Amino acid sequence: MISAIAATLDPLFDHGVGLAVFLIVLIRVAVAFAALMVAVMLMIWFERKLISDMQNRIGPNRAGPFGLLQSLADGIKLFFKEDLMPTGADRRVFLLAPYLSILPAFLAFAIVPIGGLITIAGHRFELQVADPPMGILFLLAMSAISVYGVMLAGWSSGSKYPLLGSVRASAQMVSYEAPLGITIVTVILLTGSLSTRAIVDAQAAHFWDWNLIRLGIVPFLIFMIAVTAEMNRPPFDLVEADSELVGGFNTEYSSLRFALFYLAEFMNTVTMSAIIVTLFLGGPDGPGFPFLRWLWPILWFLGKTFVFLFIYVWLRAALPRLRYDQLMNLGWKWLIPIALGWMLFVAGLRINEAWGLGILGVLVVLVGPALYRAVALGKRAGHLGEPRAAVVASPGLAKRSGLPAGGVPAGAVPAGGVPAGAGGSGPVHAPKPGSGGEEAP
Amino acid sequence: MDNYLPIFVLLVLGFLFAALSFTASAILAPRRPSVAKAAPYECGIVPRNEPPERFPVRFYLVAMIFIVFDIEIVFLYPWAVEFRALGTFGLVEILVFAAAVVIAFLYLLSNGALEWGPARRSAHWSSARTTASTVLHISPAPSDPRLSQASGGEAPEHETPAEELAEGSSEAPARAHPHEAA
Repeated sequence: MISAIAATLDPLFDHGVGLAVFLIVLIRVAVAFAALMVAVMLMIWFERKLISDMQNRIGPNRAGPFGLLQSLADGIKLFFKEDLMPTGADRRVFLLAPYLSILPAFLAFAIVPIGGLITIAGHRFELQVADPPMGILFLLAMSAISVYGVMLAGWSSGSKYPLLGSVRASAQMVSYEAPLGITIVTVILLTGSLSTRAIVDAQAAHFWDWNLIRLGIVPFLIFMIAVTAEMNRPPFDLVEADSELVGGFNTEYSSLRFALFYLAEFMNTVTMSAIIVTLFLGGPDGPGFPFLRWLWPILWFLGKTFVFLFIYVWLRAALPRLRYDQLMNLGWKWLIPIALGWMLFVAGLRINEAWGLGILGVLVVLVGPALYRAVALGKRAGHLGEPRAAVVASPGLAKRSGLPAGGVPAGAVPAGGVPAGAGGSGPVHAPKPGSGGEEAP
Repeated sequence: MDNYLPIFVLLVLGFLFAALSFTASAILAPRRPSVAKAAPYECGIVPRNEPPERFPVRFYLVAMIFIVFDIEIVFLYPWAVEFRALGTFGLVEILVFAAAVVIAFLYLLSNGALEWGPARRSAHWSSARTTASTVLHISPAPSDPRLSQASGGEAPEHETPAEELAEGSSEAPARAHPHEAA
């Protein structure tokens, strides 16, 4: 009966499923689930402890040894807190949003290869929850769904800070999904398969086969930055931005609903660190020893993931938050073109060197300057339309402020955001003739 | 194990985890609702304005431009998987495709579609900026009708909803002042 259910749920389950297989699946999932929860709790503790070290504080040190049980204590406390819903909230969506946030966080972890092959009771299987053929696309799907969690949480709260946070969030996460997707394509060019297991296997032989080195370090860096923005972690935490938006999209959430958002955030941090390791650092690959063969890959995987967890906390301690325009400029004007260009360069090199160098040449000689020129033009176009630029030009104001009527002569004004030389030969500030009197009394 | 059963089991498990947590919280947590608690967060003051319904058009623009790239990525994936089989032919096709996207992207960039810079308020931020110009800029001119109204102080046309609320008028009992309610 189980096999019939499984077959209807899962058309790819063509080899039939017995009770044993189903039990193994269940145990694997349960173990992975428990491991993920423990990892997230430790991560929360680790982040708080490490960041307090970096800020010269002690950090949590009451619950358990070294404060290890602090996250557990916080979680239990939140169970006993009143669950509030603001009057303006859209009830159903408000209740739905935490699910949309936490479920993708759980599911994305399923495709991460944790260790090598092991054999239990005659069943050989990979140490990974699932290895679907679409593999890494599943990650993209989950990260796309989690945008909805954040967006709907903010929108349904009926309150302004969450709304602002969620609008920012959707634009930010959508913007960084493009470089994220393109760098993953670069990895797939080498592997020829979407399956995470195949991606890891392709890097298995030596550490110079890791995609980090084979692809050049650029896709790795872009992926790292894009993932940080995708997770809304500092320095890209504009979604929460405590100092301007209170708590961002989850301001109105309290009690366990807030806890689940928090949990999802840290779970994403753990999962994405693991994904970086999978895509670029060979996953569980590393030298082993003849005894306890199954253990070494797991330790390697955990070690590499831990490095990235440390880096994320470090980034949070070291970097100030970006401004929104800086965030968007970084995503659209730097990461997307570089990711796309590098992807084409790698594809060219895979054919032969002439193609690769040719593509690189065209990119550097033609596309780069064109991009630079387009950005410079865009800066001008983006600001000419600002009606407020015309305030000084109104004759009355100008007279009172002692400025020459008609505003400051064009060209004498150093353009605020535009470097003086950046294609700014034209009249950057020249107000439109018709709009001069708008603000005049 | 090339199948989706574990993912489905994980989905069920995750859902159960969230649902049971909410249930437990509903049983364990106190329930003492009050008007002030249910009011939207506004740093402790009575909410004054409704959350905005309109947004800067740039957010929509970003969403629209994203679609261009999303489509591109959608087409890149199958090509990347079959890259070895397609060889030079596939590369040329993708180069043509990428060129089309990049040209569109350059057009958008040069139109300022992705400009997020802080709105340049005025040319006051020039070297010619003085205290006089700044003061004039932020305060309305003496002949401004808004100014005469504010300084006159008599007969405001109507109270804002927030003022009504703050006074705890009987028409709006649903939204008492937080201090009173607490």
